[in-house]
Amino acid sequence: MKKTIRIDPVTRIEGHAKVFINLNDDGSLDNAGLVVNELRGFEKILIGMEADRMPHITARICGVCPTAHHIAASNALDYAAGVTTPPAAMLLRELMYMGHIIHSHSLSIFVLQGPDLVMGLDADPAVRNVVGIVQANPELAKIALRLRTIGQKINEMVGGRGTHPVTSVAGGITFVLDQEKKKIIQEWIDEARALLPTVVPAVKGLLLKALDLHPAMLNDWVAPSWGLGTVLNDRVSLIEGKLRAIDETGATMLEFNVDEYDKYLVESVVDWSYMKKVHFKLDGLHEYRVGPMARMNAMRRFGTEMADAEYAEFAKLGGSPCHLTVFQTYAKLVETIWAIERADEIINDPAVWGETRVPVTFKSGRGVGHSEAPRGTLIHDYEIDEKGIIRAANLIVATQQNYAIINRSVEQAAQSHVIGKTDDAALLNAVEFSIRCYDPCLSCATHAVGRMPLEIAITCGGTTVKTINRNN
Amino acid sequence: MSEVTINTEWLSDCSGCHIAIVDLHEKILSVLQAVKIQRCPVLTDIKDYPPATIGLVSGAIRNEHDRHAAIEMRKSCKIVIAWGSCAVFGGPAGAGNIHTPAEIGRAVYLDNKTTTSANPPSSEVSPLESIVTPIDSVIDVDLYLPGCPPHPAFIFEALSALVEGREPEVNRRTVCAKCKRNMEKTDVSEIKTNSEGLPNAEQCFLSQGYTCMGSVTIDRCLAPCPANGVPCTGCAGATMQILTEPNRDIRTEIAERMSRLTKIDRNVIVSSLERAAKSHYSYTMATSMIGSKPTFHIKKWIEDENADYEAGGVA
Repeated sequence: MKKTIRIDPVTRIEGHAKVFINLNDDGSLDNAGLVVNELRGFEKILIGMEADRMPHITARICGVCPTAHHIAASNALDYAAGVTTPPAAMLLRELMYMGHIIHSHSLSIFVLQGPDLVMGLDADPAVRNVVGIVQANPELAKIALRLRTIGQKINEMVGGRGTHPVTSVAGGITFVLDQEKKKIIQEWIDEARALLPTVVPAVKGLLLKALDLHPAMLNDWVAPSWGLGTVLNDRVSLIEGKLRAIDETGATMLEFNVDEYDKYLVESVVDWSYMKKVHFKLDGLHEYRVGPMARMNAMRRFGTEMADAEYAEFAKLGGSPCHLTVFQTYAKLVETIWAIERADEIINDPAVWGETRVPVTFKSGRGVGHSEAPRGTLIHDYEIDEKGIIRAANLIVATQQNYAIINRSVEQAAQSHVIGKTDDAALLNAVEFSIRCYDPCLSCATHAVGRMPLEIAITCGGTTVKTINRNN
Repeated sequence: MSEVTINTEWLSDCSGCHIAIVDLHEKILSVLQAVKIQRCPVLTDIKDYPPATIGLVSGAIRNEHDRHAAIEMRKSCKIVIAWGSCAVFGGPAGAGNIHTPAEIGRAVYLDNKTTTSANPPSSEVSPLESIVTPIDSVIDVDLYLPGCPPHPAFIFEALSALVEGREPEVNRRTVCAKCKRNMEKTDVSEIKTNSEGLPNAEQCFLSQGYTCMGSVTIDRCLAPCPANGVPCTGCAGATMQILTEPNRDIRTEIAERMSRLTKIDRNVIVSSLERAAKSHYSYTMATSMIGSKPTFHIKKWIEDENADYEAGGVA
């Protein structure tokens, strides 16, 4: 008899989801997938709103990466109004963004994935959480939380608020830098730099230990795919630049401006999930990855000393391009290093003191803008009328683009850790861990949709034989 | 004193309220010492609803799963806090109430510029309810803590008070109370959109002709927006006066103040706010305290605006 395993809800991810694993009569894997179970419909909600509200209201799509939406929307409005954003405004938006990256990656590495790494995939679920880390390794916990705090504080000072920042607007940014604020930001950056010699080896050590304990992560959790990320001056970039698509070998297949995204990105509906999949269309349809590892695979360069040195280490261990699912955690670490270095460059760039905002008048037309959310490329596309009212909206978020690969990883993890094994509860956490590697953001994915808990269902011949969630 | 236990749950929301807890920064460690966090989908792997002293529920009721989860939280928790503007008022997802679930499904799956058209998902997913509602439409709520998200200082006060067994201190002031801009009488004669011109940094936005919602919005934020050059967008929801008095509303209250501070006619302001009602009421329209006011005709305002747009014939 066929059977289905369910994990519901998936925990320690951003939003609500469940997982199903379908087995054949002989107990082998039929298929598996992640179900996103919420729909808010922002593409409809935004219609009729004032365009200048977009950076504020679209931030509410996601409490984890509000800054990504805040900036993508601002870029789209600048495009629609046909203004050139003053260079100082772009630098300050980027500074806010680097704070955001430090916060989001630290949260993902330490709070969401940390418990699996510090306590092990099979640790008691009752202690497998950030409180458990505080008890098991208080020094690391303190430093990790401090690093996240610094990121969020930079984001908050420049953005006006931490969660749901507000200062980036059509035509620039309303934040005004002064010497006092510069001094405080510099102190935070210096402090973050000083934490790196402790944080970097600690995270790498934990990751390598996990690979030792679970060789399947190195041998079987491999997902070769295309990749997409933003390039500027031949390096990774997060809020401006062209999009670069690479194939499985890392060869550049295409570079294009974001306003051409609708030629190449194709969304498709999955009947069992509110989240849509996205494929890259170029001589056929390709599954692809976005996010820190996709950016590194595509650009291979950050342009700062420590990050480039760490990337060289990364490539030595994981290859270039790298397709090891678990190495996405390492990629977040490398980007965190870069974000600290880049923030330092920006705050010391004389251009940051220039004009920060130009007045804007909307002409009737289209506004397209993007950002590289911590977890991957995010695109906002609006039709705006001559009174500045939104008439149509289309959003493509990071996790949708990773969806096909996430499902591949779920199948691989089910294959290596669940099928034919006896200790369901502990091993199912391996499936969740594989999902956490992508730092999926289901609030975003449910712009369209809302949130994501995890359940794993085992079905057999269409009947659910067993539902596993954390407590049974 | 027995240990204070906490369950949290997120319904239809963005997860920002949960992040606001982490934004207690250094204080998070003292909170973790004072309470025991049980179910908390973003932090822990506890997947059911163990009995708890305090239940924090963020998000609105959008689908059947949300309704079920809200009921489970009420059953398991002694004190339930509606946490954040979505739980209290419906939040931005509440703006979905202008549309039917079928219209939303059409915009996302059937009639979307980059999507290969297909019927909305039908298996495994929880069907949408016909409208978005705040959680108190489904369960009794003991404390309301709006904000998008509430400033961590308010979350800390609420949790500390409950741990210490006292009533939380809550203010009823508006965002204006913490705003340092000066209200001045001006000769401004036209309403400006937020992106028009460059606002003066010292003067009240209303004096300058910008639509700022600070005077009609409860302070659960400490007024960071006007301090940083951005008019308030009302994310913490309306004040008690507006919620409870039938003859007061967001648009009329703003129009009163702005018309007194400028030379703009009150009716012009009311009409301008009605035309962009979806922006100004986005956080609160799903609560019956706003949505059921006899003077609240958002569907008609939107139809009028659409009719004008279509008649204007933007080619």
